[in-house]
Amino acid sequence: MHHRPAVEIRTLYYAYPDGTPALRGVGLTIEEGESVGIVGPNGAGKSTLLLHLNGILMGQGEVRIFDLPVEKKNLREIRRRVGLVFQDPDDQLFSPTVFDDVAFGPINMGLSQAEVAVAVSQALEEVGIAGMEKRSAYHLSYGQKKRAAIATVLSMNPDLLVLDEPSSNLDPRARNEFSALLQEMRITKILVTHDLPFVFENCDRVVIMSRGKIAADGDSFSILSDEALLSEHGLELPYGFYPVPRETAQDSQDREREN
Amino acid sequence: MTHVFLDEYSDLESPIHQLDPRAKLVGCIALIVICVTTPSNLYAAFAAYLGLEIILVLLSRLPWKHVLKRMLIVLPFILVVAVFLPFFNKGGGSYNLGPVTVSAHGLLVLWNVAAKSTVSVLAVILLSSTTPFPELLKGMEKLKVPHLLTTIMSFMYRYIFVLMDEMQRMRRARDSRGWSGKWLWQAKVIGHMIAALFLRSYERGERVYAAMLARGYDGGARTIYLYDFGVMELGFTALVILFPLAARLIVGG
Repeated sequence: MHHRPAVEIRTLYYAYPDGTPALRGVGLTIEEGESVGIVGPNGAGKSTLLLHLNGILMGQGEVRIFDLPVEKKNLREIRRRVGLVFQDPDDQLFSPTVFDDVAFGPINMGLSQAEVAVAVSQALEEVGIAGMEKRSAYHLSYGQKKRAAIATVLSMNPDLLVLDEPSSNLDPRARNEFSALLQEMRITKILVTHDLPFVFENCDRVVIMSRGKIAADGDSFSILSDEALLSEHGLELPYGFYPVPRETAQDSQDREREN
Repeated sequence: MTHVFLDEYSDLESPIHQLDPRAKLVGCIALIVICVTTPSNLYAAFAAYLGLEIILVLLSRLPWKHVLKRMLIVLPFILVVAVFLPFFNKGGGSYNLGPVTVSAHGLLVLWNVAAKSTVSVLAVILLSSTTPFPELLKGMEKLKVPHLLTTIMSFMYRYIFVLMDEMQRMRRARDSRGWSGKWLWQAKVIGHMIAALFLRSYERGERVYAAMLARGYDGGARTIYLYDFGVMELGFTALVILFPLAARLIVGG
């Protein structure tokens, strides 16, 4: 069987124009259908790594997205397949109306007027803010802005969804609803955040980044329950939060059989 | 924080609101050009322009309160001219108004400014209150206004209140730390705030650009335009151009 990972990064180095090294030899493979949380302290290089996933930044080393190397001639295709949602929805939503914002990607992809209209209404429907097409993003609540921001990439029908700090600034209810929305979406997801409970809720696999390198990589429970490992990289679970091993479908079947 | 949008009431439904923005834009510019080039002594022509605009306001079902409130913007200009009125004394007879003397010529200048600014501003209010700004921008793009220009205006529309909110937050942070604004040396703080606002906007610009690139932006101008320049538009444009033109020629003839 032909094996095709969603993301394949090998020995990626990147330094900012002022010489500050941001990525020092990152290697990471993410399979299709996975939901991966990238966590780490501020300045660990998480956001820089994200910008390499669709070629906004290009460092030294190899980045392949669905087997396509990230290089100039593939950017169009890669940017369609990778939906990158930035942290601040006020950056993501730059058009005068929600419709224009959600239509921006499909229009750039060269879809026809009718196709764009369909893509926009489907994307808004999917994130639960149908009917807000004519609004200005300024008039949306923060939770609605986050949803609209996701819709702006869903309308491009991506195969990989990359979210930078998806839970920041959301109140508990909006955060829960947002988490439920993410879990409904059945595509490969990468979440970059320091909200560890949010990662635990949404991801099967956690990668710790620290000082421009991958410091740890494993299933959510084993990483997030390793207090020593977390604190070594400046991370900490909120007081009173203890991860419990997640019950997989297999587990519950086994138990039913035992009973 | 809530702000009043530039295009308040542009989401009403009326025959005027439904028109293709291009028709309204062309009509508005034509009316303004005809008005400002009309000699100021053709009083009836100005009455005709104003009459046309009043009919359009009625057709568009805009609340008069809103229109009149927006009209207040012309007052400062008229007042400035009024203040300098006594200094226009190039003859044409003069009138004594208490302590000051004004000339007929001066009054004509005042009338000129008042009439033309009123008609022009009302035309712009009509345009902006019956056309959502994003649609207006798309109309401009269709009329071959450079993409760069419309993009800048679209960012302005999107971000002006975001920036105003940012300024407001900085002002609160400043005042919370005992800033009184009474002393000259405190003026420096305002400079710092402007610099901070500039830097923040600059950084936001970079992030927005990254967000645009991430969705396949390549500098091309492609928009979806849902209007057709049909019979209604043709009729509207003809009316708004030909009626004032005819009024002016007949009165001036």
